[in-house]
Amino acid sequence: MNESVRMIVVLTVIAMVSGGLLAWVNDWTGAIISENQLQAMMASIQEVLPTATRVEILSSSPSTLVEEDPDQAREVEQATTEMFIGFDDNDRPVGYAFVGEGPGYGGAVRVLVGVDGASGKILGISIVSHAETPGLGSRIEEESFRSQFVGKTLNDPIALGRDIDALTGATVSSRAVVQAVRTGFEDASIAYERSR
Amino acid sequence: MGGLMKEFFKGLWNDNPTFRLQIGLCPVLAVTSSALNGLGMGLATTFVLICSSVLISLLKNVIPSKVRIPCYIIVIATFSTIVDLVMHAFLPDLHRVLGIFIPLIVVNCILMGRAEAFASKNSVVSSALDGLGMGLGFTWALTLIGAIREILGSGSIFNHKFVADTAATFGFFSLPPGAFVTVGILIAGMNIISARLRKAS
Repeated sequence: MNESVRMIVVLTVIAMVSGGLLAWVNDWTGAIISENQLQAMMASIQEVLPTATRVEILSSSPSTLVEEDPDQAREVEQATTEMFIGFDDNDRPVGYAFVGEGPGYGGAVRVLVGVDGASGKILGISIVSHAETPGLGSRIEEESFRSQFVGKTLNDPIALGRDIDALTGATVSSRAVVQAVRTGFEDASIAYERSR
Repeated sequence: MGGLMKEFFKGLWNDNPTFRLQIGLCPVLAVTSSALNGLGMGLATTFVLICSSVLISLLKNVIPSKVRIPCYIIVIATFSTIVDLVMHAFLPDLHRVLGIFIPLIVVNCILMGRAEAFASKNSVVSSALDGLGMGLGFTWALTLIGAIREILGSGSIFNHKFVADTAATFGFFSLPPGAFVTVGILIAGMNIISARLRKAS
């Protein structure tokens, strides 16, 4: 066989086998991966919304938001697109949770915030994902930092140096959390009121 | 038989990829902030290394030499992606830590280096043993560096904290410069041990 033909055939066959194999593995693991992510999110929601016994997804991605939100002008500016509502045993809504995002030192910091429906107070926050420096910025995960947000409402400033103390040596990471909590808060509370 | 064992053992000490060949240092410096991260990255690399070495050794007579590099890259990239997806599905916690480094296995020069220098010229069995030895050599190096950095930087080992939460630790060792210092001291230590062994024999 001509050498250049052989080169093309070998490379094509290897690429095709590789593509087929990857498609199969992706098919097999895809469902498990999304199931895992959903379960991890639900566990975090239980943590920040302890009064809820059942959690419903209000919106989970920008595309579902477009369908559910009739107000076309708002969805572009919507700061949070992942929202969840918690219900108690009698199926009454007790509060809501949303995922906010803020720019950190090593990338976006995503924060899950649980809010009590009646009082509008934050019940707890949990860091969904971050890429902050280990030992410095990663301390935003510590209970002592996160607990500062408990009890805050939309009327509080929620600002560094005012009602939230920044972590020593991790001002950027602290600011990212503050911003993540603040940006989604108003949108989420409006969406919650509308859903009731 | 002795020859085959040699292919396995050389990766553990004499040709250790991290401390001797000093290749593939990017993940060594980046992921070794804890012992568990080092172990996970090492085992993931070992798996890809064995699979790609065996396959490339099997295909060594089929692949024309002019397109051998793209062929190696496709083989290595395929196995790396499989590891990435399988780890994401079954070890989500480890994947969250190593996530961004797994795709980098593709460009780890240990993989290309062993494919080009060894698997493309040797039998399937010795290529598999070479991959296993190199992979385990890489794994123990990463785990050791990770353990030292974790003990000094966070006061814990395999995520078990042995100092009080408020205790001051050498945070420097959790950061990238700490990785350079640790690797440098370990290479020096290994050279001393090797020199002693040579003198003794």
